[in-house]
Amino acid sequence: MRDWQRKTYLASVTDRYVKGQMDRRSFLRAAGKLGLSVGALGAGFGLSGRRPFFNLAPSAFAEGSLEPSPEMMKWLADVGKPFAGTTLRLATESTPPSNAIANSLKPFFEKASGIKIEIEVLPLEQVLQKLTLDVASQLGTYDLYYIDQSWAANFSQDVFDPREQIKDKPDLAYPDYNIDDFLPPLVDGIAKYKDRWVGVPYDIPIFIMQYRKDIYDELGLKAPETMDELLTNSQKITEAKGPQLYGTTGQMKSGHYSLECDWTCWLWGHGGQIFDTDRKFVGNNDAGIKAIEYWDKLKKTMPPGVDGWTWDGEGQSVSQGVAASMLSWGEFFPFFDDPKSGKISGLMEAAVPPKAITLISPDKTGFGEIPGVGHQGGSSLAVSKYSKNPDAAWVFMQWATAADTQALITVLGGGTGPTRTSVYDDPRVKANARVGAGTTRHLPVVRETISKYMGSEPDLPEWAEISSDTIPVALGQYFAGQYDSPKAAMDDIKTKVEAVLKS
Amino acid sequence: MTTSDLVRRRVVSDHPLPWLMPLIAILVVFTIFPLVYNIWLSFHEFVPRRRALEWVGGRNWAQLWADTRFWQSLTVTFIYFGIALAVELVLGMAIALLLDADEPGFGFLRGILTMTLVIPPAIAGMMYLLMEDPQFGVISYVLKAIGLLSPATPILATTQYALAGVLLAEIWQWTPFMVLILLAGLRALPSEPYEAAMIDGASPWQTFWRLTMPMMSKVIAIAVLIRGIDLFRVFDYVFVMTSGGPGTATYTLSLYAWQQTFSFVKWGYGATLSLVMLLIVLIIANVFIKVAKVRW
Repeated sequence: MRDWQRKTYLASVTDRYVKGQMDRRSFLRAAGKLGLSVGALGAGFGLSGRRPFFNLAPSAFAEGSLEPSPEMMKWLADVGKPFAGTTLRLATESTPPSNAIANSLKPFFEKASGIKIEIEVLPLEQVLQKLTLDVASQLGTYDLYYIDQSWAANFSQDVFDPREQIKDKPDLAYPDYNIDDFLPPLVDGIAKYKDRWVGVPYDIPIFIMQYRKDIYDELGLKAPETMDELLTNSQKITEAKGPQLYGTTGQMKSGHYSLECDWTCWLWGHGGQIFDTDRKFVGNNDAGIKAIEYWDKLKKTMPPGVDGWTWDGEGQSVSQGVAASMLSWGEFFPFFDDPKSGKISGLMEAAVPPKAITLISPDKTGFGEIPGVGHQGGSSLAVSKYSKNPDAAWVFMQWATAADTQALITVLGGGTGPTRTSVYDDPRVKANARVGAGTTRHLPVVRETISKYMGSEPDLPEWAEISSDTIPVALGQYFAGQYDSPKAAMDDIKTKVEAVLKS
Repeated sequence: MTTSDLVRRRVVSDHPLPWLMPLIAILVVFTIFPLVYNIWLSFHEFVPRRRALEWVGGRNWAQLWADTRFWQSLTVTFIYFGIALAVELVLGMAIALLLDADEPGFGFLRGILTMTLVIPPAIAGMMYLLMEDPQFGVISYVLKAIGLLSPATPILATTQYALAGVLLAEIWQWTPFMVLILLAGLRALPSEPYEAAMIDGASPWQTFWRLTMPMMSKVIAIAVLIRGIDLFRVFDYVFVMTSGGPGTATYTLSLYAWQQTFSFVKWGYGATLSLVMLLIVLIIANVFIKVAKVRW
């Protein structure tokens, strides 16, 4: 039996066990036939019906091991006393950390500290709108800001630098907080604007290579290590399996931010850059044109609906067995492994992104752009300067981003990528590295991608408009055939970007 | 005069003002203030760096002339408005005339027709988004099967077809509204002119054009007015199905105003765009009321 078949079988029996269609003895026997170790069996139990955390947590762990540590609870109880009864507010996008906190972990914080926390989960543009209103009015409606990496420049003066908070409030500092534990590339790419820390890295969706191992094995392919290999692999799969199965997929809905995310990946992968050191748009240079030409070829190996999909459609196209690979958000990987979500549980493998043909060094770019094939879309969490309860908010922020809490978030939040180095080695996170919902078996790849392949968009106040409208609308026009050539499209984007910068 | 006499006098007053006060208060809070505020906002702009709304004079209004996206979205809105209104009116009249025949089972059909109206437009948009999906969609499948669409053509991602794809959802959902209004009008028509026409030997075609249409003109005008105003501010279908794309092929004015206001925090320019929309609707509606001699 091949490895992927064994994994599929394990996922299937685990699913039946979870649903109560199989008793414990039969499950153990079936798993034993697979030659799995006791540890792997434990992983299988991770999906059993005994869920101590509001029916969200896998219970591969001993009772109580998926709760905040006693040290953390004691610290919260001690430090939270003066703020008991205070209510904090946070407006956030629906991301795994926020969902895990809102759905599972919040009661622990509230019980221990006596501080109430209200979390508003909103679409990203509404979060931006709320934060903008808050900083304009300076009313302090929100105590904590969820800041997308593309807004770091906008809000850098409206939040506390966490390093200053640690220094200025030693009595409120969590002893094991260790701010140096945050992955340095994430600090640079997400949470830093000029010399200020705009909060701390909170979540990290990032592009990794995800592919169907069964299809790759069947066609004698290996995970692509270069851009050319990605293209040829995708072409071979499409030729052999199309139109039922396409080689790869994308998020190419015209006018949507997701299209810009894909563009940066191909642009940076071909030695291109968005801005030069003079802060001029240079996505229309030779490398930029080559990237579009490559993308044109790759698009022929994607399902026909790709022009109408954002990340949701892209992920669905893989999970429903329509596309065999995607160089995209690693957060999808646990979803693919979930037997309830699609047809490919246990069939996917993760790999680092293909190497860039050439890569521009960050010191040759403008606005803090960091070229890299592994496009990241992370966010940071910060305490608002207008908060009426900045100290209580700082207590919450330390708890929400501490290593102990982040390990719980990773396990409870469906295998999301941690932003701290130590959490990747946490035993609770490692124990979840098995096929099934909320797997963490892709996290070593995420970690390597962050450290070696990560790409970050530029930081400038106009970036929200440029990345969500100017570029994806023009690219949508290009793919709809409204430009004569890639050069014409990219030249037009340059004109439009510069008009936005001027205005 | 005691206080209770005063209150009694006010309560039983036949002066209209006390009775109109609640309505006036509602109008001031929910209509007049937002309108005045919007006008004020259109002469200001939010400046992110300074975190403040600043006076910009007529810059937002002047910007309209040079803004190609504004003109594109205005054109798309007019095309959408024109096609949807024409198709919904013609189809609505045809179905209303059919249902007016009162054949057995038509009562059930009338009930079924109203069901589309209770579906939120965003949900209807999602339904059509799936039905027009090139891979899984039933509409794409049928169009390909009968040779009207090539297999690799995604309806909503192709410039030539995207607007038609969105209009399909719009027309499916709102034609029944036209049917209901027109059917109610047809039911209220007097029978005597028809009896006279039959005695005089008029053909069904002549009866329709010489009797039904003139007598129905006021009802048609009302239906067109209500749907027209609604169509001009189309947002849901476009937002859900295409986000204005591909490129700007389905970008409507309301989507553009929303994007400027909420995505790019250009509150002043967003207010200007929404005021332009209001002005256009007011002008068109008033001209139409004059021409069609609609009496309220």
